[in-house]
Amino acid sequence: MIKNKMGALAAASALALGLAACGSSSSSGSSSSTAAKTTSATISGAGSTFAAPVYEQWGSELSSSGLTVNYQPVGSGAGITSLEAKTVDFGASDPPLKAADEAAIGKNGSPAVQVPMFLGAITVSYNVPGLKAGLKLDGTTIADIFLGTIKTWNDAAIKALNPGVNLPSTPITVIHRSDSSGTTAGFTGFLSSVDPEWKSKVGEGKTVAWPTGTGEKGNAGVAGGVQQTTGAVGYVEQAYALEHHFTYASVKNASGKFVEPTLESTSAAAEGITVPANLGIKIKNPSAPSAYPITSQTFVVVNKDLCKAGIPGGEGAAKGVVRFLDYGLGEGQAILSKADYAALPSAILTKSKEAVAGLQCNGASLGGV
Amino acid sequence: MSPSSASNERLARFAVSPARKRRDLLARGGVIVGTALAVMPLLLIVYYLLRKGLGVWSVSFFTTDPTGNTFFGASSIGGIKSAILGTIEIVALASAISIPVGIGVAVWLVEYGRGSVFASAVRFFVDVLTGVPSILFGLFVYIVLIVGTGSTYAGWKGAVALSLLMLPIVIRSAEVILLLVPGALRESALALGAPRWRVIFSIVLPTALPGLVTGVLLAIARAAGETAPLLFTAAATLHTSFNLSGFMNSLPVQIYKDVTSPTTAVVNRAWGAALTLVVMILLLNLIARLIARRSRLA
Amino acid sequence: MEATPLASSGRSIVGRPLLARLPDRILKYGLSALSALILVLIVYFFFRLIGQARPAFEKEGVLGFVFGNNWDVGAEHFGALPLLVGTLITSGVALLIGVPVAVAAAVYVTELCPLRLRGGLTVLIELLAAVPSVVYGLWGIFFLAPKLQPAEQWLADRLSFIPFVGGGLVTIPNYFVAGLVLATMILPIVSAISREVMATVPPDHKEAALALGATRWEMIRMAVLPYCRSGIVGGAMLGLGRAIGEAIAVAIVIGDAPKLGHQLFAQGYSLAAAIVNEFGEAQGVHRSALFAAGLVLFVLTLIVNAIARLLVARAARTGGGRGGVENAAAGGQVIGGAAAGA
Repeated sequence: MIKNKMGALAAASALALGLAACGSSSSSGSSSSTAAKTTSATISGAGSTFAAPVYEQWGSELSSSGLTVNYQPVGSGAGITSLEAKTVDFGASDPPLKAADEAAIGKNGSPAVQVPMFLGAITVSYNVPGLKAGLKLDGTTIADIFLGTIKTWNDAAIKALNPGVNLPSTPITVIHRSDSSGTTAGFTGFLSSVDPEWKSKVGEGKTVAWPTGTGEKGNAGVAGGVQQTTGAVGYVEQAYALEHHFTYASVKNASGKFVEPTLESTSAAAEGITVPANLGIKIKNPSAPSAYPITSQTFVVVNKDLCKAGIPGGEGAAKGVVRFLDYGLGEGQAILSKADYAALPSAILTKSKEAVAGLQCNGASLGGV
Repeated sequence: MSPSSASNERLARFAVSPARKRRDLLARGGVIVGTALAVMPLLLIVYYLLRKGLGVWSVSFFTTDPTGNTFFGASSIGGIKSAILGTIEIVALASAISIPVGIGVAVWLVEYGRGSVFASAVRFFVDVLTGVPSILFGLFVYIVLIVGTGSTYAGWKGAVALSLLMLPIVIRSAEVILLLVPGALRESALALGAPRWRVIFSIVLPTALPGLVTGVLLAIARAAGETAPLLFTAAATLHTSFNLSGFMNSLPVQIYKDVTSPTTAVVNRAWGAALTLVVMILLLNLIARLIARRSRLA
Repeated sequence: MEATPLASSGRSIVGRPLLARLPDRILKYGLSALSALILVLIVYFFFRLIGQARPAFEKEGVLGFVFGNNWDVGAEHFGALPLLVGTLITSGVALLIGVPVAVAAAVYVTELCPLRLRGGLTVLIELLAAVPSVVYGLWGIFFLAPKLQPAEQWLADRLSFIPFVGGGLVTIPNYFVAGLVLATMILPIVSAISREVMATVPPDHKEAALALGATRWEMIRMAVLPYCRSGIVGGAMLGLGRAIGEAIAVAIVIGDAPKLGHQLFAQGYSLAAAIVNEFGEAQGVHRSALFAAGLVLFVLTLIVNAIARLLVARAARTGGGRGGVENAAAGGQVIGGAAAGA
């Protein structure tokens, strides 16, 4: 009896020690490198959950050259607050900075710089048996569906946009996000810009008072809800919809064309938009002919002079952040398509690179791209 | 009448009436149904976890760190090693803080402070603390230890947030258990001339040990599964670390991040990690109970 | 030091030398200091959180915040009544379902269960505490809720005459499922503590009842349950604390409808779920409103705990509580009388 108990205890300790041994050998391994840049540094960031998989992917690509990226997906709002409080080296936000946040970050001793990094689309995904992908919808119809005025799939408005398609009489179940998110902001932003009724009744924002429908938490929740319910429609992030092969609609853009949410049409959405001086772009019902209209952007936010602002990682982290951004705006853009995210169009990409080139450490340029 | 049948008659008067027998059977049935209802969700959840998570388990799952490399196929996403080690480190530190403090406060409440206004105040505030959502503990530590001091995330700060979570559970459950140690035991020891501290350490605590272990295990299980307190304090990193004053990964945070990923392989990793966490707590449970049983008096 | 007959052996408490009294002093004052420290820490905790919540209270007024029936993030208007009611509904369901089941399981394990099964069953129930809240939420929304929906719809249709339960559309995420998931989460705590408490019932109480001719169930009802009453309530309060404060699991299964809960099978919202759903993106007044929601949770726990303590104290005064022996004796008279009359 005693032997059994001691044996159990010994086995447990052995397991823990074994794991620990593996641990110590691998953590020393991460600092060795074979690439040209061998300075090892660790940078920390926090913010957007939408961008998290991409930043982690870039981080994993850079780890072989000694750069460790630690990223917290706490949400855009909390990410900006973390940057203001100097608990991280960079912040990540989907919506552009509000004036108050810009000022708060600037208080750290150096003005805020927001760098557009990449784009993502929001699909209108549905689950109607017999209905294939590419159902044509326009902004007003989508707004009416989410307002609850259009209640069945064979409604006249949908029929008018899709002549020749056999629409069932299944009732529509609306699924929306229950948690605050940039995806909601992007979707409601689109609806507000194309449908005055939506704008006055509901408006836009990360959280809104939905007139109808069921709330589910996260993209996974909405996706699951749509898959579980016949006749359901919901708004799902593009990466999600593409990865899981959802059925999504073709949405009418400002030029009158019905466009599917492909990576190309998403990138096209940012072409020709006005870029404010602080690079705080906001894609709202874009006018490019091949643009997918429900598209949003994401930024990395830093102080212009990182060292002067007193980021926790110090000078090493400042250099590391620039390396990270250089990579992301360079080779990183090529990886995006593999991940079902859309790259920036060249005009905006150039501006982003210029912004990174302007980053400094205590006055000395950090020499971006 | 023979003597035996006379006594039989007498005994028959104390026989259980059919009504009482029925009530007894009904109650037993109800209790069994209740127990089955209590066990069923666990079996359902474990089955669900096994179905979704067991397929991901492999030796490399436990011995490689997660990578951020999630877009190039399931083989490159790595395992959960840093999360497992991080959870062990953080929860161990949190337990080291909250268990002695919690049991100490409970001992004080029961042995020394009973009846005093001060004790009522302590009990009152501890009770309120049990209802605080765990995210607020994380935010409190974030405000005080991170934003307030201008310093950055650290594993030990996550442990502090978790120990705040564990403290009321340990105190409250220990208090309930200690109150049930019969007064007679204490009094007889005191009557034999043993000093108070001796009575506590040699009589009260050992007698209460199995119950205390139960309460402590519940607190540890709770803390090991909490995401929110760690999200704002310990920060996530993918790499194994033994430095508690730096960023540290943990299983709940890794699960939380992975479960919202668009990549299926990463979501599967989340389920494998969830199954791992449950199994780890199970092992801890078994080991702790074995130790407690060995050191029990008589 | 008085000279007593035992003084020389150092065993007498009265005549004990100062050095021998020292450990006692150290322990007593050390633990008092520790408790004082904990008290200070908790008060400081509330103080800081009140500070964070102040902007919201200034905007809405304390009563306006707690009893305002409008949680509108877009319009920056924060009345938390729908959230408060949602928390009450889900915790209520959790207690109503969870506590009886947990106590039944504890009774079975301690009184009725064959000895060999006892250890395994105990571990099985307490293992529920090891499941992370995220997993509870996901299991709830992807497995439990869809499976329950047809039954809920049937109930809602059949019982449409009962105001709160019946009538209306049943959504997959709803108050009831949230309450059910919470009940599962509080099972281990309530059951474990009830079990520990029941295991300490003195055998003489139980044997006395049995000797007087009680059936098994009557013995449990007379000798075990009254003795354990305050302990069970203590466990239930810990469980309630968990139910009130549980954020992530509830956020996943309750949907998001900050409207006053008028129907059990409709989607709703709760205070803790709001915090976890909205904190990541909240700024300014919204953020402090979420802290204020946290404060409302504390006050709620406080009130419920106070009521529970009152109930237990009153029961103890009127002869319940740990007066198991008296109850057993009284019950015995009843049984004897019934048997005599039969």
